[in-house]
Amino acid sequence: MTRILFSDKLDNCIAKWRSAGLTVIGPVQGESLSGYAAVEKAAGFEFGMVLPERPLKELFFPQTEPMLRYTIKKNEIDTTDFTAPQGKRIIFGARACDASGLAIDDPLFGWDYKDEYWFQRRNESVIVTIACTKADDFCMCTSLKLAPDSTKGSDVLLRPIDKNRGWLIEELTDRGREAFAIISDYLQESSEPAVPTVVVPEKFNLDACVTWLQNPENFDSKFWKEISMRCIGCASCTYLCPTCHCFDIQDEGDTYSGIRRKNWDSCSFALFTMHTSGHNPRSTQSARWRQRIMHKFNYFPGKFSVNSCSGCGRCSRQCPVDMGITETLQEISKL
Amino acid sequence: MITQEKYRTTVKELLASGSVKMVIGYKPGSTPDRRRPLFIRTSEEADQLVLDSTCMTNLSGYLVTEGLLSDEKRVGIFLRPEGIRSINILAAEYQLNIEQIVILGFDSTGRDVRPLEGRNAGDFSGLLSEIKEKPVQTSKEPLLERIEKMNAQERFDFWQEEFSRCIKCYACRQACPMCYCRRCIVDSNQPQWINTSSHTLGNFEWNIVRAFHLSGRCVQCGNCDRACPVNIPLRLINQRMATEVLDGFDHFAGLSPTQEPVLASFKKDDTETFIL
Ligand code: SF4
Ligand code: SF4
Ligand code: SF4
Ligand code: SF4
Repeated sequence: MTRILFSDKLDNCIAKWRSAGLTVIGPVQGESLSGYAAVEKAAGFEFGMVLPERPLKELFFPQTEPMLRYTIKKNEIDTTDFTAPQGKRIIFGARACDASGLAIDDPLFGWDYKDEYWFQRRNESVIVTIACTKADDFCMCTSLKLAPDSTKGSDVLLRPIDKNRGWLIEELTDRGREAFAIISDYLQESSEPAVPTVVVPEKFNLDACVTWLQNPENFDSKFWKEISMRCIGCASCTYLCPTCHCFDIQDEGDTYSGIRRKNWDSCSFALFTMHTSGHNPRSTQSARWRQRIMHKFNYFPGKFSVNSCSGCGRCSRQCPVDMGITETLQEISKL
Repeated sequence: MITQEKYRTTVKELLASGSVKMVIGYKPGSTPDRRRPLFIRTSEEADQLVLDSTCMTNLSGYLVTEGLLSDEKRVGIFLRPEGIRSINILAAEYQLNIEQIVILGFDSTGRDVRPLEGRNAGDFSGLLSEIKEKPVQTSKEPLLERIEKMNAQERFDFWQEEFSRCIKCYACRQACPMCYCRRCIVDSNQPQWINTSSHTLGNFEWNIVRAFHLSGRCVQCGNCDRACPVNIPLRLINQRMATEVLDGFDHFAGLSPTQEPVLASFKKDDTETFIL
């Protein structure tokens, strides 16, 4: 016997969570773009899409975040810190790749310096993932040794039952159990089977790729230039990536007062590594693409023992010149 | 199909005779409806060439990145009429030597693709003037109609809503063949003209700079619009600016490689009391 949350009870659950002080967030189809957003009613959700176009990471690491306000006076500097907005949230209907993305980035944001903006939001959010029963040509979680029902980064895993009538509940963490205790009145025991998760074919041999990337001789391989010749260096693959986490700190204002902000930045930009002298150690787009791949599958796992990719496929789905991680790793597997 | 086969042969001949070092075209993409840019240097690579109505990307931006033309060798490139206009502008703005470009022109109606006569930019001047005089009539987009009915405040609100989604990835800039500046104004920080942050004000600033900087230069290839990951209808902004420039200055961008740029030229006897 497993507990089931029936879809027709979702409105009651949302109301219950909201009255317990949680903001309820989930996949929403906007007029021209899908993403994760807050809803008041179950009708606001759209569970039918493969995955939202915008990644879950932006709810934890927004594109621009104020850090402090400064005022420079004659003999003193005044600063006021901004903290991340407080408030408990439940993300209902995350995708497994998006939830994994959060877990992948946790060690990064907590490594030598604990990023309060990230962790405050992480600690105040319950991630309820719905296992995928649908995928598209770009999904590749299985190539990254994850799965449509992987539990990484999730507090609760839901498995859909037949005809979108509801979900079987697997509570994974205390945070998840607490959130579901709030709605326990609306849950039912049942032995109904779950709809099988979608089969996502493996697209490349990850271990072979990693071995190739770790070989220092391949750093200067001609491969990099060939594979990235058409990259135009737009940053959309990094900005939509649920694990890409680079940021830049900028002061906005004038010499006397302003706001210091933490803004998304991307290794695709020529300016990313430009020195003040004008020298750029990654002066070509191919060097920048190599960095993106090396970082995700060589340097990041070297430091944190996990690949910085959850296989969501957004980078390939979105690329204006039809590049992406998939093609590059497929080609590396053949080398 | 016939056009594609003929062009494969042409490309092989161009490469074999040594008249070009490379041809930039299209090949199949990761799904049946996708095409991706292809850089052809060998006869085998020419066999991958695809040319059909789904080849939409304006490839001309590749001509001015990372010194492709700096060895003075010639390069062939597949271009729709808009693409030909954009290389004319690049030549007029001294970004490339038009003599180095061998044009493999094509256009499509529905699913049919047909070759365009000519190899050099000058060969297409008749065609481009015709397009200026008789623009292809396409049915008006419902969104454009909606915007035209709005008053100034509603229009402002509409764009504010659209720009609030912008994430400042600058894909629109990178995809645009006319955005070739080595150092874009948004990347300059001494002084910092434009807010780097992607909040609504910063997004507005960026998109307005982009609209102005492309006025009289945009050829409506649609690269920016297709590249924008958050689906902002960028085409509408540039189309509108192109109409303004055409109505106000009778300027149709990219008619010839020697056309004077509309926003970068002035006359001493200009009646206006200011320049932009
Ligand atoms: S790979 Fe594609 S999406 Fe990424 S920077 Fe290059 S062109 Fe843009
Ligand atoms: S690298 Fe691509 S597939 Fe991997 S997590 Fe990022 S966007 Fe998704
Ligand atoms: S602004 Fe957009 S439509 Fe105009 S030339 Fe640039 S990419 Fe093409
Ligand atoms: S491509 Fe779209 S999201 Fe990116 S900077 Fe341009 S308008 Fe903004």
